[in-house]
Amino acid sequence: MIATIASHQVLSLRRQRVFLALLATLLTMTALAGVLGWSSHHTIVRVYDEAVKLLASTGKPAPPNPFLLKPTLSLLSNMVVYIPLIGALLALILGHLSIVDDETNGIGRLVFSRQISRTNYVLGKITSAAGVLAVVLAASLLVSITSLLVVNHTVAGADVGRLSLFYALSWLYLMVFALIGMVAVLMTRRRSIALLAAMGAWLVITFVIPQFTSGLRPAQSLNPITDPASTSQTFFKITSKLRPYSVVEQYKQASGRILQTATSEPLASTIQRVLPIAGFAILLALLTIRLVQRHDFSRSATSE
Amino acid sequence: MNDSTNRIITLARHEYRAAVRSRILLVLLGIVVTVTAVSVYIASVDYAGKLADYQAYRAAAQANGLDRIAPSPLAALSLLRGAMEYLEIIGAVIAIALGYLTVSRERANRTLPLIRSRPVTSGELATGSLLGAVGLFATLVAVTAFVGVICVGIIGHDWINATQALKLLLGYIAAIVYMGAFYCLGAIATAKSRVAANGLMIALGIWLIVVLVLPQIGDTMDADNQVPGGLFKALGLNHDGEVQILTHFTTYERIRTWTEEASLAKHFERFAFGMTDVKERYRPYSLPWLLGQTRNDIGWLVAYSAALFAGLRHSFRRQPTIPQGGTQ
Repeated sequence: MIATIASHQVLSLRRQRVFLALLATLLTMTALAGVLGWSSHHTIVRVYDEAVKLLASTGKPAPPNPFLLKPTLSLLSNMVVYIPLIGALLALILGHLSIVDDETNGIGRLVFSRQISRTNYVLGKITSAAGVLAVVLAASLLVSITSLLVVNHTVAGADVGRLSLFYALSWLYLMVFALIGMVAVLMTRRRSIALLAAMGAWLVITFVIPQFTSGLRPAQSLNPITDPASTSQTFFKITSKLRPYSVVEQYKQASGRILQTATSEPLASTIQRVLPIAGFAILLALLTIRLVQRHDFSRSATSE
Repeated sequence: MNDSTNRIITLARHEYRAAVRSRILLVLLGIVVTVTAVSVYIASVDYAGKLADYQAYRAAAQANGLDRIAPSPLAALSLLRGAMEYLEIIGAVIAIALGYLTVSRERANRTLPLIRSRPVTSGELATGSLLGAVGLFATLVAVTAFVGVICVGIIGHDWINATQALKLLLGYIAAIVYMGAFYCLGAIATAKSRVAANGLMIALGIWLIVVLVLPQIGDTMDADNQVPGGLFKALGLNHDGEVQILTHFTTYERIRTWTEEASLAKHFERFAFGMTDVKERYRPYSLPWLLGQTRNDIGWLVAYSAALFAGLRHSFRRQPTIPQGGTQ
């Protein structure tokens, strides 16, 4: 039954072209990261050539090769910003549509007139969101590998492994937002308020919590690598204790370690960064299951 | 006051009252005010320490009879940088949400055809709605400004003077114009969509590109940002060497500038940062010079806002004047 509900949901998303829109947006975003990476590579080569000429004319030795300062996968470092910004918003909309259409179209009432348990229903919905995100991110992985091949002409096996790990982490992160989209629908009465409430949660997670725990201004949150404020201020002595639970910071830090674009750290520390994201996703999944058990599907939410 | 002005004021009051009754909007407003207070508090604590150090240095220099004492490198207004960034990002989302609610509320209550059946022109409807929204943005901006200035004065131990207050006022007026533009965008996208929530998604997609993606692309393309710590520093080049090499990158730099110029958010940010002394190079100059330097940004801000207001008028003109069936 879970598979039937999940496949119905995927079919519905395909017919509404939401699946296509998600795929197109995420692939464009990955391609954009690749183009920016290529542009960065090209710029470094040109600046290096000009620098060699300039220094030679003044009798100075050639500078060190800047590519030694740049990790291979830094080419795709913008993805670490695009996933929490664009990807998370798309995941919110995916989760929102998974539940809201059943309310507004009255499908919820029809479904529960049949012999379907609410747990199977919600597990089917979660499985469909997980499946759609997995397919979309797998396609992004392929685009990323293609970008690396175009720019570097070769891709090491270890780099493919690291990229796969990064996209697996991104899937987990996006699942958090897909579940927030579902929870918001189940906790509100109107379609529009559900979407705005989910957006509010996204703003809090992406911009507000990092400001409280690490003193990161919004513009700093747009950088792939961010340095948290020191804990010398009394304020941060208290709030920095919550830093491990700031999922966006943990996602960026863990991604930086996986892609080797940030200072390395022991594997155990990176795993510790992933645990709060996984824990948050599990808690939200349990909350979604609980809310569906109590939800009154006999009333249709207003489409506005 | 003539009849048209009366109708516009009535519509503006209606818009303002309806907005403050929306709990979700109030929550979003609460988030902006709280986070602004935290941002300014953090910056002010840091500033107070630096100001005390400078005053100690100044006192010691005077005690030793030094004639030339270095001026303070500190700028109290720059502590409001976080406040401006929050208006740039979250303020724009609130404006879109308000624009969306303006149309979706009237549609859901089926009062839009009722309003259109009255002797109210689409221009009056657009102006009245926008004025109501601007009133709400002005309230939000006044609260954040009050919180910011009080934090800087009490925690940072530096009260702003009249000139700084004027610059801050101009920065906040720009913030209101900027949010007004996004209000129009939210209302236009919703009015043009059959299902209001789809309009909201389209407006948020545009917000994402204009506010977050385009400025980030511009920063990423900066030649010096290509390696950690700066590419030119890594190549052992000083400022003169950097300038000399960048002469070979005029087309590249032009593309980068165009990418940034396409973003309304970047224009607001440049003007607001100029007014709040965020950029050190602007600090020594007077207000007229600053206004001259940022005239391009002022022009774009006004042009974008005027174009979106024209779009809002056009969208309201095309709204149905008779009740539609279904859920509209």
